[in-house]
Amino acid sequence: MKRVLTVLLILAVSTAAFAAGSQDGGKGGSVTLMQNKPEIDPQLQAYGALWAEKTGNKAVMKSIGGSSSVTMGQQLRADYAAGEMPDIFIIAGIEDFAEWESLILDMSDQPWVNDTSVAFQVDGKTYGFPVAVEGWGMAYNKDLLDKAGIDPSTLTNYGAYKAAFEKLDSMKDELGIISVVSMAASAEMGWVTAHHNFNSLLSNGLPYGDLSVTNDLIAGNVDAKRLGEYADWVELLFEYGDKSILTTGNYDAQVGAFATGKTVFLHQGNWVDPNMEQANATFTMGYAPHGSMKADTDGIFVSAPSYYVINKDSKNLEAAKQFLNDMVYTAEGQKFMVEEAGMLPAFGNITLQPDGQLSKSVQQYNAAGKVYSWNQYNFSGDFRDQVLAPIYNQFAIGAIDKAQFVELLTDAFENRQ
Amino acid sequence: MTDKQENRIVFWVFLTPILFAFLMVIIIPFFIGAFYSFTNWSSTARAGATLDFVGLTNFTESFRDPSFIYSFLLTLIYTVINMLAINVTAFLLAVFVTSKLKFKNIYRVGFFIPNLIGGLILGYIWQFIFNNAIPSLGDILPGLSFLGDPGNLVLGNRSSALMALVTVGTWQYAGYIMMIYVAALESVPAELHEAARIDGASNVERVRHITIPMIAQAFTITMFLTLVQSFKQFDVNVSLTAGGPSSMFMETPLLGTELLALNIYNTAFVRNRMAMAQAQAVIFFLVLIVISLVQVSINKKKEVEM
Repeated sequence: MKRVLTVLLILAVSTAAFAAGSQDGGKGGSVTLMQNKPEIDPQLQAYGALWAEKTGNKAVMKSIGGSSSVTMGQQLRADYAAGEMPDIFIIAGIEDFAEWESLILDMSDQPWVNDTSVAFQVDGKTYGFPVAVEGWGMAYNKDLLDKAGIDPSTLTNYGAYKAAFEKLDSMKDELGIISVVSMAASAEMGWVTAHHNFNSLLSNGLPYGDLSVTNDLIAGNVDAKRLGEYADWVELLFEYGDKSILTTGNYDAQVGAFATGKTVFLHQGNWVDPNMEQANATFTMGYAPHGSMKADTDGIFVSAPSYYVINKDSKNLEAAKQFLNDMVYTAEGQKFMVEEAGMLPAFGNITLQPDGQLSKSVQQYNAAGKVYSWNQYNFSGDFRDQVLAPIYNQFAIGAIDKAQFVELLTDAFENRQ
Repeated sequence: MTDKQENRIVFWVFLTPILFAFLMVIIIPFFIGAFYSFTNWSSTARAGATLDFVGLTNFTESFRDPSFIYSFLLTLIYTVINMLAINVTAFLLAVFVTSKLKFKNIYRVGFFIPNLIGGLILGYIWQFIFNNAIPSLGDILPGLSFLGDPGNLVLGNRSSALMALVTVGTWQYAGYIMMIYVAALESVPAELHEAARIDGASNVERVRHITIPMIAQAFTITMFLTLVQSFKQFDVNVSLTAGGPSSMFMETPLLGTELLALNIYNTAFVRNRMAMAQAQAVIFFLVLIVISLVQVSINKKKEVEM
C-alpha cells in the first residue's frame, strides 16, 4: 500500500508541475522576437536583457538560420502550426508578406516610419520595420589590385572584369592567391547563386525599384540578350573561382579565402565585416559593381534585407511596438544596431557609423545614390532554392555548358508554376 | 487490498504516463497527419487560406514530382548499400572483439562511441574531413596528389557523395549493431565449436555452419534496425551534403543526394507544400511498413530453434 501511495504522490506532484509549466507568465509585457541572423545573436541577447531590465518587460530573443537547410521560414511554419507565433518576426519581402499577410500588423502610425525611406510598404501602408541596410557587389582586395596595377574604379562592365580576371590569373604566384574570385555554388550555398547573383539579372543597370525585367520573367518572357550577357558573367565567376570552394565550400571556406588574401574578389555582402575582423584582415577593401552586362553599370545592390513585423494576434502589441521604437530612439538601441551588431542603420536620425570597411563602402554607394534594388524576393523561395540553385550548381560542377545553362534557365522561367 | 489488486494499480500507474505520451506524440499526430494529406492545408497565414478536401490530388501529384521519384529511387539504392555496409562492418568488428584479444573492452567502447555523437555534428565533422582533410592529405603525400584535385572532391560528385553518406552512416551505426552481434556471438554454446573442431572443421566452415545459423535471430533484428535507419536517414544528409551536388532527372535539375526524408522535409518547409509533404510521408510510411514486414518474415524463416 505504501508503494501505491508513493507512486500516486509522485504522479500528483509531476502533474502539478506540468500544469504550472504550461501557464504563461501572464503578467503582460513579454516580447518574443525571432530573427534570422545567428551571427548577431549574442549582441541581441544582451540588448534584449538590457531592454527588459530598463522597461520592466520580459524579452525573449530567438535566432534561427545561417544556412539554407534550416531557415526562419521553416521555424515560423512549425511555430504557427503549434500556435506559438512570436510577437515580432522577420519577413524578407513580398513573398513572405503574402505568406503571413493575415497576421501582419499595419504599423503606418508608428513614429519611426517618418525616419526611414526603406520601410516595407504595400499599397501605401507600412508593415515592416527595416532591420538594416545591406548591400553586395564584388568585394575586392585593394592591396592585391594595386600590386597587379588594376584600378577598381574601372571595373564597371563585363569586358573590364574579363581583362582584369585574366591578368590576375596570370599573376597567381606573384600575388600568392589560389584563385581570382571566391565564389560558392554548392547545395548549401544556393543563396549566393540563386538569390544574390541571380539578382544581377533582375536589377543590374535598372533604376531603383524598376521591376520591368522581373515582371517579364515572372510572366515567362525571357530577354535572350540580357540573359546571355548574364550567363557570360556567371561563367566568368565560375571559371575564375577556386574549384573546391565553388563546388563544395561552405560560407566559412568562401569568406575565409578572401579574408586570408587567397583571392582578390569575394561575392558576398557587407555582412562579412565581422568575419573580416575575426580573421584580422587588415588590407584595404571595398565594393565594385557587378559586371553582368556589357554596358557600364556603376552601382551595387543595396536594400533593407529584411523587416521586423508585428504579429497582429499578439497579446503584447504595445510592448512589441515599444521594442521596435526603442531600437530607433534610445541610445542603447542605436548602439546595439550600429556598434554591436555592426549593421548600417536604415533610419535617418541615427548618426552612428559602423566600423567595417565593406559597410562603409556600401554606405558610400548608398549616399551617392548608385544603388540597384533587390528583386530576387519577388520569386518564391521554392523557385530559387529548388529550381534555380540546382541549375547553377550543375553549371558550377561542369555537368552542363553555358548554352545548356541558358536553356535550363529559360525553361525554368517559361514553365514556372 | 490484495497483492493482485496492488500489482494491477502499480502496473497502470507506471504505464499511464508512457501511454499518454505515446498517444499525444505518435498516435494523434499520425491520424491528424493522415487527415491533412487529403486536404490543401498549409501552415501559413496567407490571405484567403482555407482548409478544403482535395481527395487524392496530393498523392497523384507526388508520383508526378520528379524530385520525389528521384529521392525514392535514390533512397532504395542507399538503403541496400548502407544495410550491407553496416552489417558486414558490424559483423566483422563483432568477430574481432569477441576473439582472444588484449584490451577488447577498449575496442568495444571505441567502436561504439560514434553512435553517441549526434548525426548533425557527425555530418559537419565529416564534411570537414572530406572537403579539407582529404585534399590536404593529397597535397602532402606523394602519389596521392589526385586527392587534392578539386575534380576528385568526394562531396563534389554525386556517386561519391552518396558513398560518403554510406561511410558516415556506417561509421555512426556499425558500433551499435556490433553490440547486438557481440551479445549473439557470446551466446553461441562453446561445445558446438569444440565438437566441430574435433571433427576437423576449419574456421571458415565453423562460422558458416555454426555461428551464422546460431545467430540468425540477431540478423533479424540488425537487418530491421539498419533498414529502418537507412530509410529514415535525415540528419547526416542535411549536414553532410545538404542534398548536393545537383543532378538531372527526367530533364529536371534537382538535388542529387536528397534522400526521401530530406525531400519530404524540403517539400514541406522550402516548397511550403505541407499537405503534399504529408501525403509523401504517408506513402513513405506504407512503403517502409511493407518492406520491413517482408524483411522480417524472410529473416524469421532462417532462424533455428534451440
